[in-house]
Amino acid sequence: MKIDTKLLLMMLVSPLAMAEEPLNDLDLDLDSLMAMDVQVTSAMKRAQSAFDTASSIYVLTKEQIIRSGATSIPEALKMVPGLAVRQLDNNQWAITSRGVASRFSAKLLVMIDGQSFYTPKFAAVYWETLDVPLYDIERIEVIRGQGGLLWGSNASNGVINIITKNSIDTRGVYADLSSGSQINHDANLRYGGDIGNQGSFRVYGHVKDGDESDKGISLAPSDYTEQYSLGARFDFTPNDEWSGLIQGNITESTLGQNFRGVIDETNRNVSFSGHLDRTDSRIMARIENRISDDANQMLQTSWLKQSGSQTFLQEDFSSFDIDYQMNFLYGDLKFDWGLNYRYNDISFAESSFVRSDGGYNTLEQYGALVQAQYTIIDNKLDVILGAKVEHNDLTGWENQPLARLVWKLQPNQVLWTSISKSVRVPSLIEFNDDFTIDGQRVEEVSPITTGIDMIDTYYIRTYLNGNNDVKSEESTSYELGYRLSQGDWGVDLSIYHTEVSDVLAVEVDAKSEQFLPIFALLQQGEIELAMQSLASTSINFDLVSNAELTTNGGDIILTWQPTDTFNAEVGYSYNTFNYDLAENTFEAIGYDSTSRQLFAKTDIQLFENHRLFSSLRVENSDAYNTDNYTVLDLTWQWAFHPNWSAAVMGKNLFAGSHIEYSNAGETYTLPNYIDESVTFKLTAKF
Amino acid sequence: MIKKWLLGLLISLWLIPSQSVRAIETENALKAGFLFNFARYSEWSRAQDTQTEFVLCSPDNHFIDVASVVLAKRMVNHLPIQSKAVNLTETDLSQCQVLFITSDTLLLWQAAELTKLNNIMVVGETEDFIEQGGHIRFFLSGGKIRFEVSPAKLTQANINMSSKVLRLGRVVDN
Repeated sequence: MKIDTKLLLMMLVSPLAMAEEPLNDLDLDLDSLMAMDVQVTSAMKRAQSAFDTASSIYVLTKEQIIRSGATSIPEALKMVPGLAVRQLDNNQWAITSRGVASRFSAKLLVMIDGQSFYTPKFAAVYWETLDVPLYDIERIEVIRGQGGLLWGSNASNGVINIITKNSIDTRGVYADLSSGSQINHDANLRYGGDIGNQGSFRVYGHVKDGDESDKGISLAPSDYTEQYSLGARFDFTPNDEWSGLIQGNITESTLGQNFRGVIDETNRNVSFSGHLDRTDSRIMARIENRISDDANQMLQTSWLKQSGSQTFLQEDFSSFDIDYQMNFLYGDLKFDWGLNYRYNDISFAESSFVRSDGGYNTLEQYGALVQAQYTIIDNKLDVILGAKVEHNDLTGWENQPLARLVWKLQPNQVLWTSISKSVRVPSLIEFNDDFTIDGQRVEEVSPITTGIDMIDTYYIRTYLNGNNDVKSEESTSYELGYRLSQGDWGVDLSIYHTEVSDVLAVEVDAKSEQFLPIFALLQQGEIELAMQSLASTSINFDLVSNAELTTNGGDIILTWQPTDTFNAEVGYSYNTFNYDLAENTFEAIGYDSTSRQLFAKTDIQLFENHRLFSSLRVENSDAYNTDNYTVLDLTWQWAFHPNWSAAVMGKNLFAGSHIEYSNAGETYTLPNYIDESVTFKLTAKF
Repeated sequence: MIKKWLLGLLISLWLIPSQSVRAIETENALKAGFLFNFARYSEWSRAQDTQTEFVLCSPDNHFIDVASVVLAKRMVNHLPIQSKAVNLTETDLSQCQVLFITSDTLLLWQAAELTKLNNIMVVGETEDFIEQGGHIRFFLSGGKIRFEVSPAKLTQANINMSSKVLRLGRVVDN
């Protein structure tokens, strides 16, 4: 059965697309029907109709996730055109869109079923411990660019929402076992069933034991993996008006890592091998209510707890969220409004790297959103206006408005444009903490040199000081997009220009005058005293909000499905990242760079029970201090029995051993070479 | 005064009269799509060779209007689908292979005095519909359509449904 390409493109973008399509165009495939919402209004801030969505959205379907042979969320995200996904070692990742990725500052909001995983301490996501069973993911929605309005602050570069399956669709037994050149064993087991005739459930477990990489950069790799997860989800549908779900997950991880930091009087970054122990727990509950055929409401509450312990760093973080949203249609007006509240509790032991100025062990955040979509010309022109206001304890009230226009040129062509403002609230590291960083040489910071090597090349203790003068970064983004579906093929194009003000930069305050007494001692021939004095001297790098940043770029994706056994996708993304810095400052996150990415994916059904999925990426970027590289991932699946299938996955082929991330200035981050790998997998479903 | 204003606000926000036909249309269209799949993945063991069309019936005219559009030009077992609005009488129903009782026509179904319907797949969307003589019942979970099915009752009506579809539904035979 061949799926119409227009439908395929819309499904690719969102299963909800069909809701507004002419009835006689409905895709009557049972899987598609089961994926569609009955109402145009839908809770959880989902894109209403993807083909007509006025943002650069990409949906990774469950089919792509399974067929690609991805073994983790970051691996699956490598398939999204326009996402920068850089692997640091076998566990750690730096991921973002429309900017420069970093392990600790992503400006990207990541959620599982609407539950946020943003940590206000680092502004980062611990990808390595974000364990979601890939086989039970419904889809991953990726919004490249500003998601500010609907999703709250800190989504300036994008939003990733991982949507898991309703447990009614995961009844039965699922088991898989993988092993290969880097994975010793990775096993999953899930059991799901009905709860009477008003609900369903699933429980699952995951065990992973992985090897170190083959080759390190300055230290032998120690990035092994030991991970255990347990989780459950319960869905209740007492009647057609009400439904609810509760889910929870706990993941225990022990992850080897190489890292670096300043721990002694050399004042230099020293490299270590160690390990990180983490426990990540999450639980969430949601109630959805269909008020009428044209209105619904949703209440969601969740709790997240993450504890991490590693050499020189102990952290405990928990957050509690409550979210209410209502959506309704009134004639030609589609209206959404909502309220949100978040409470964060952060405990961070003092260490030789990081010291807190104190006072921010708990953080609160609350806000409201409204969005209205009005149809000016039926089936032709829609205008969307919205605003989100939110209060946080660090920078007070923030306001994020947007205006969008969707113009349906033809039934198969859409042009959209958007202007939006988005805010990134500083992380606690930026606002409240002091960080000891790699020392500076006297000759680099002192106005004069002494000619004495011991003095001139001495590394002075150097601090990076977060402070409460740091402001929220404000981005204004102008976006334009076009979608077309024609016969067997489709196009999705978006371009953007984003200007960010109050961007974080580092101001160097060498306090040159502090060297004068030292030079005086030298003149008196007191070299030893001068050295002692130098040892108690320090240089401060202060974080300031006075830079400006401009990013420009675009993404184009072509899809082609000439037959029902073959589909292909080609994508190209381009991004420039340019700072405008004040005198005496330098970049805090990323640096002026240009990134280009070329993608090609094919999904072929070779014979009745065989499938070959390939994904080729060409990464060309000067943002990560690495060589350009081309990688090919190949997965061959063979369903040799109605209940059993086998797969062999080759990852990072072509590139061989390569480095994906080498921004060595970052404290703590010490990547390895990324290896080619081969994995075998056996899957059973009953 | 404030009370009135609040009431007005409540009415405009919550008690919105159902202005958009589109929302109901979507649900009916999707359900028509499910019925099409139930039909093409089932076998009527006493089907007559002389049959020239596959007939989907409902006493609900609105549903039939939508189903006629959605299922236009579709085939089940090489037979073109006809969507027909019917009265719940044995004579009218004798031409049907699938009968859909919507929530709006449940009372008609409960009032109809029908003897056992053989060879007709009876589908509903209201609570306890299977106990009330149906074989399959649609329900909503998280805004999406799912269904309960009684394979035993289908078998009694001389219909066998493929396991491909059965496993997607909630089997309610005890």
